[in-house]
Amino acid sequence: MSTDVSRQGRILSAEIVRFTRRSARRYRRSRSSLGDRFVDAYSWGLGIGVSLTIAASFVLALRNEIAGRASTSGSIVREQWLVLPEPVLWTCLTFVVLLAVGNLAGKLGPLAVNGPESSWWLPLPLDRRPMVLPPFLRKTALAAAGSVIAYVAFSMVTAADRNPLEHLCSALTFGAAAVIAVVMAAFKQLGLLGRWTGRIVSAALLAACSAATLISASPWPAALAAVVAVGLAAVVGPRAGRVAGEELVRGGAVAGHAGASLFMMDSNEVLRALGAGRKKVDGGRAARFYTRPPRGPLGALIRADVVAFLRLNPPLVPPVMWFAGSVALLLVEGGLPGFVQLAVLVIAGCATASGMATVSRKTAMLPEIDALLPLHPALVRISRMLMPCLAMAAWMGLLSVVLVSLGASTPALIAVGAMAGIGMGAGSIRAAIRTQPDWSAPPVETPFGPVPRAQLGSLLRGLDVTILAMIPLMVALYLGYVPSLVAGAQLVFSAGIVLVVALSRPKHS
Amino acid sequence: MGTVLEVENLSVGYAGDPVCGEVSASVAAGEVLGIVGVNGAGKSTVARTIAGRQSPLAGDVKVNGLLIDPDAVPFRRQVAAVFDDDLFFPSLTVREHLLLIARGHSLENPETRVDEELEFFGLLGRAHAIPDALSSGQRRRLLLAAGLIRPSSILILDEPEQRLDPRMRVAVGARIAEHADQGGAVVLVTHDPQLLLAIASTCLVIGDEVRELDPEHGASVISGS
Repeated sequence: MSTDVSRQGRILSAEIVRFTRRSARRYRRSRSSLGDRFVDAYSWGLGIGVSLTIAASFVLALRNEIAGRASTSGSIVREQWLVLPEPVLWTCLTFVVLLAVGNLAGKLGPLAVNGPESSWWLPLPLDRRPMVLPPFLRKTALAAAGSVIAYVAFSMVTAADRNPLEHLCSALTFGAAAVIAVVMAAFKQLGLLGRWTGRIVSAALLAACSAATLISASPWPAALAAVVAVGLAAVVGPRAGRVAGEELVRGGAVAGHAGASLFMMDSNEVLRALGAGRKKVDGGRAARFYTRPPRGPLGALIRADVVAFLRLNPPLVPPVMWFAGSVALLLVEGGLPGFVQLAVLVIAGCATASGMATVSRKTAMLPEIDALLPLHPALVRISRMLMPCLAMAAWMGLLSVVLVSLGASTPALIAVGAMAGIGMGAGSIRAAIRTQPDWSAPPVETPFGPVPRAQLGSLLRGLDVTILAMIPLMVALYLGYVPSLVAGAQLVFSAGIVLVVALSRPKHS
Repeated sequence: MGTVLEVENLSVGYAGDPVCGEVSASVAAGEVLGIVGVNGAGKSTVARTIAGRQSPLAGDVKVNGLLIDPDAVPFRRQVAAVFDDDLFFPSLTVREHLLLIARGHSLENPETRVDEELEFFGLLGRAHAIPDALSSGQRRRLLLAAGLIRPSSILILDEPEQRLDPRMRVAVGARIAEHADQGGAVVLVTHDPQLLLAIASTCLVIGDEVRELDPEHGASVISGS
């Protein structure tokens, strides 16, 4: 009897979902002509085609560059006290990427509902499975397809000796591994495994898939990984309706915020979206430090900013991963081309710096609070820069120590690296306090179509000075020693960036 | 009449910090419990917790003798709640939103029931409009219609008078009273002393300390006298 009732509930639930989708589709069709739809399809097709062509030419160029390189020639590293065989490096990299896929899936919630669905579907006395399962399957399929395409490109660069079928087999293994990562995130939402058990099982499965992807290019690892992925999905499928409503809403809110921010090309908002969610603020951390009487309003503000930085739990894993990843790439057998190594260092530096400005990213949403303080806005900005600058100086200093020990440059590089870190910390604040472009302003015509005015400027704000702060350091690495001119330039660049960020007055829309 | 809602030593709040004193109350079928208090006292938090929208810090909430579980189908069937969540499907019309609720609750003659609600809430002329095209007050009417079209043992309303014109306030008050007369229990968070006096059976004043008063005294608390 109860099974019958539950079946009826599921049928009704599926009908509700169909009714909503059908109505939405009818509305959209009523608002767009056949011509509009053709233009949309044409634009999408053209956009995807152009992107794929650019990506393919980049991959082929990089492949030729790597295949034709002479051993260790052009590398910025001169003393490889540890040589990482290439397969080990690529396996580790694959593993890290799969962990990142799983982590991202956990934040976005593979099983989720959006805002209107949470208000209108979830309170209905029906089985929620038909509401959450189809989007889950779509997301999983999307993750698989995207991973396969991305891995084909990666495989063509890192395994030049493989034939097209072998590239495809490796990519299919990786695609199945990505599905496992997403499904394991759903396991977590369902609470099917304990917190640590889930993490260990997930890491073990992904590690095995990473090794299988690299070691063997035969169809068997792909088939095995696909069987595991489908098996795990089959466990989640029947239970999908049991995820707590609160968790469904959380995942949907984060995914909606992140998706809208991506659509608006606002990387700042993407970071805000991904920084929200389950993370708990540690309200007790540094409480004793905060209660000590400060000297004047600036002292009070600095103290508040330091405590806020510590309490907002600046994530430790990404900086450590970027650090380890960049060092590993320097130690790879045969050596990557110098420009690739430098590019990796710049990317790692920018990615690490972007995570340091959590406090500014949050306070930027309420500029009125800062305006209440009896302090010049430049002093407020300097106070906000303090912790990100210190953290980035430490990170870059440590990276420089490793680079010096690898013979990349002279010990003076450590001071240059720390100085660069200060500029990069300031750059992260510039990125965090940037305002959105004015969408109401008429767009600028470009060969790629109309682009919102100041869109690119807003996108690059912060990233521009973060990269600028790294230029003298990169020059020193390229030269292999630190000329005094370069050290002086680093000092001027970093001090200049700090001043520019402190004195800039972003407009508030 | 039997007790529908039982609240025992309920503590509500955010990140482990309670926003008001502990709440204990019970509402029988046919009764209307008014909840009043100053801004920020925690009225809506109490209502959201009773409706299962957020977890209690401590204490129990039972509906018809069972602890609340917002993910359980029987709970969702028994509890109707209307909060100020302005979330709508952007491409579903007013009528389609109500039809979704009517069908989801397996109402008989859903089309007719939807038309009745549209007429009552003065939305008949806007039945085919999407929510974005509605005024703020009309969107509020739509939310109230969605809460009242469906059957429920307990109806939880968070400031239903907000954004409504005086005539609609009176009409909504009458509908809530009618729901109670038909054996439904009601939890009503309000800042409107007239609405409270017209329909509430008892009243909770939320603050650092939670007090139970009769509606006359509750209304004077709202008025600040």
